[in-house]
Formats: sequence, C-alpha cells, structure tokens
Amino acid sequence: MSFRSWGFYIRNGFQNILRNRVMALASITAIMVALFVLGLILVIAFNLDVMVENMESKMEITIYLKDETTEEQRLTIENNIRSWEGVYEIVFVSKQEALDKWRTELGDKGKLLEGYSGENNPLPDSFLIKIQKPEYVEDIVERVRAIPAVDDINYSSRVAEFIGWFARGIRIFGALIVAILAVVAVIVISNTVRLTVYSRRKEINIMKYIGATDWFIRWPFIIEGMVLGMIGALLSTCLVVGVYKLMIDRSGYIDVKWGYLGIFKLLPMDKIMFPVLVISMMVGVCVGIMASCISIRKHLKV
Amino acid sequence: MIVFQNVSKMYVNGVYALYNVNFEIENGEFVFIVGASGAGKTTLIKLLLKEIEPTSGSIFVDGVDITAMKRREIPYYRRKMGVVFQDFRLLPDKTAYENVAFAMEIVGASGREIRRQVPAVLGLVGLGSKAHDYPHQLSGGEQQRVALARALVNNPSLLIADEPTGNLDPVTSMDIMRIISMINKRGTTVMVATHAKNIVNAMRKRVIQFNKGILVRDQREGGYFDEL
Repeated sequence: MSFRSWGFYIRNGFQNILRNRVMALASITAIMVALFVLGLILVIAFNLDVMVENMESKMEITIYLKDETTEEQRLTIENNIRSWEGVYEIVFVSKQEALDKWRTELGDKGKLLEGYSGENNPLPDSFLIKIQKPEYVEDIVERVRAIPAVDDINYSSRVAEFIGWFARGIRIFGALIVAILAVVAVIVISNTVRLTVYSRRKEINIMKYIGATDWFIRWPFIIEGMVLGMIGALLSTCLVVGVYKLMIDRSGYIDVKWGYLGIFKLLPMDKIMFPVLVISMMVGVCVGIMASCISIRKHLKV
Repeated sequence: MIVFQNVSKMYVNGVYALYNVNFEIENGEFVFIVGASGAGKTTLIKLLLKEIEPTSGSIFVDGVDITAMKRREIPYYRRKMGVVFQDFRLLPDKTAYENVAFAMEIVGASGREIRRQVPAVLGLVGLGSKAHDYPHQLSGGEQQRVALARALVNNPSLLIADEPTGNLDPVTSMDIMRIISMINKRGTTVMVATHAKNIVNAMRKRVIQFNKGILVRDQREGGYFDEL
C-alpha cells in the first residue's frame, strides 16, 4: 500500500476514536487496569529476582563433625561432598580456626575464651558448604544427615528458598491474573471498535461497492484499537511509576529499621521504568489489534 | 461483455429469486431491467456485483467466470463497475467533492489525479458549481448526480443503476436519465433496473423483463409492458 493510503488509515483511525469518546474512554480504562496489574507484577518480579540472586550468593550449610572423626574419614567426606550436584564450594574449618574466628568476633571480650584453647576447645571441626541454588539445599541436607560422622547441621537458607518459591508463585499467579484482565480488555475494546464499525457500516458498504480491499477497510479500525492500547499502556506505566516512587520513598524507613538484612533494597527507578513501559506497550498494542480484528471480521462480508 | 448462463438463485426459504436465466449484453449497450417488485431485478444486480453467489449456473464478465473468482480478487473486479442506488448512498459528513474524491482515495489514486479528475466528472454531471456543498444542502436530483459522478470517477466499463430515479420527480428523473444516456454514448455499458414506465417507454432501449424470477422478455428498442 502506498504512503498516501497510510495517511488515510491513520486519519480515519483517530476520527473513529473521537467519534466514540465514551467508549474509547472505557476501553482505555480497561486496558489501563490490566496493564497496571501487569506492571506491578513485573516490578515485584524484577525485585524478587534480584533479591533471590543476592540470597543465593549467601547460601551456606555448616556441618559439624563428631570429635572422634579421623583425618582420613574427614578427607573422604570432603571429596565426596565436593562431587555432589549443586555444591559450589566446600571449606574445612578446624576447631582451632573456629575458636580464633569466634575470638576475633568477640573483639575486646576475646579474653573470655582464654581457658578454652588447645585440649579444652569445646568447638567441633566443621565444613562450610556453599550451595549454587536454593533448590539444592533440601537435597544436600538430606544426604549430609546420612553421613555417620556428622554430628549436627546448621543452615539458614529457608528464607531464600521461600523467596524463590514465592517469586515463582507470583509469576504464575500474576500471569493468570494478567491473562484474565487481558481477555476483559479485549472484550471491552472489541465492543468499542464494533460500535465504530457499526456507526460506519454505510461507509464500509459504499467502500465495498467502490472496490476497496478488505485491508483498506480494516486498517483504520486496527489503528483505532492500537492507539487505544497504546494510550492505556502509557497511562498504566505512569501509574506504576508513581506507585513505585512511593514504595522507594517508604523503603527508606525499612532500610533504617532492617537495613542490616541487606535484602530489602528496591531496584532504582531507571531499572524498572523502561522494561515496564516496553512490555506494557507491546501487550497493549497486541490486545488492541486482536480486539479490532475480532470485531471487524464479520462486518467485512458484503 | 456480460453473459448469464442458466443462472438460478434460490434463497434459504426455498423460493427462487431467479430461475434459469440466460442473456448476453455486449460492450457499449444500454439495457433496462424491468419487472414488478420481487421479480428478481435486485438479485440480478447483487449477483453481478458478486455480493451473493448463484445457486447454479455461470456468470461471465469480459470472458471471466466470476462465480469462480477468489475473494481477494472481488475488490479489483468491482473497480470495473460504477454503481448508483435509489437512496444515493452518499456520506453525509463529506462534501460533494469529497464524496467523489473518496472513491479515488479507495483505489489509491494520487492527489494530483484526484484534483484533476474530480472537478472534471462533477462538471460532466452538471454539478461544478456545487462541489463544496454537503449532501443535505443538495436536492435529490443533485445528490444522484454526485452519486453518478462517484460511480464514474474511476472510469468503469460498466455502469449499474438500481432504481436511480425511484426517489425523484419525473422532470428530475429525465435529467438523470439524460446524463446516464450521455455516459453510455461515451462507450460505457449501462444497465438500469427500474419500474419507471414513462422513462423506459420514452427511451426505446433494449428491455429485459422478469416476472417472479423468470426472464419473460428480451426485446430490442422495447417499451415497458405491465402484462404479457
């Protein structure tokens, strides 16, 4: 199609929207709500991803060995565990090293431990196992428990595991909600476009008699749907950005109170805004086009 | 050239709108299609425009069987014809000029072609001075002239008119028929479906008459007979 025809399509598409202002507004609202929810879910998912990543790098299991464990047994266990799937690193911490570390941590009060050096050291030998992903934790703990020389196990990865699980859950649940809202938006927009198709049915009829191709008739309506979707996407992105700005401002308070956890750090705005805008636009335009195609399909038979 | 070969059209209620119709129309001819309401005139035009499909038989236009035509070819086929209706079918929010230009926009004509062709055609139908009036500012006869200009602007080889004078007074009707006749003299094949007795009788052109879907008369230089 020629450039001229595109001028015709776009002009007509916008005329359609202006003729049915109330319905256009309803459509924009519907798609805005759907995309707003999508945007919020995206923001949460992005943040959770980074959070899980941070926690994963901190994920460790400590296993304490029984006192009677020989050096030979110890090496066997070490080599064995190193070969397991999901084990990133295994480090041996002798009872002496553990005591030194504790003493350092106590700082000024380090001399409290003076009577416990050498033979009297109450701390056990231990291994520090670093894990690649939270999914592996349960499995590795199970296997470690089965080793006779292991006295006790200490791991604090349940939080990370929960967040990983939560992030996946949010994504599935979110996709579901977005899908439902998208269907609602398609229905509302297709009704809007159907109204403009109806109000222009005489014109369509005349166009058919004069010999307009189906695509010549379709394009203005597709552009109408597309523009409605785009406006909805823009507005919803503004809303998401506004809400996220509020969240960042409030998170300063959280930081002061629980900052030491170091995981509740929200991503900066510029990391969020662009992907949300692009994804919302894409979904909005697709929904608009789909809705238009549905509503003009049966009106083209002349 | 148009050829109808054993064409029948049955509607879903089992009634034949046209039954076993055969005729040929040469290029450049002027033909009246006459008959009472429900005789099958409109069905004939819809078949020719490929708005509906015949139940049986073949329709050839310029040697091509249009019943076998693909859906996407229909728009290009229709560009060979201009159509006018009893109710004019102009777009109310466009001026006379814009209504005619619209037909050229649809087929992708350039701005320069539109600016040259539209005034020429409006002049041909005698509406040059009212080009920028809206349909509601024009009389019935003037609106039908706009419709004629729109039908002609893309230089069709066939002009189809379905009751073109149905909403017009006798004097205006004769004006419109004079314009259609002039178009025919320029080489365009013309097909006029009507039951305006005085017009058919006055013009003495070929007449094809239908009665309850059956072609009952095909006469050169005929008149309009109520009965047979």
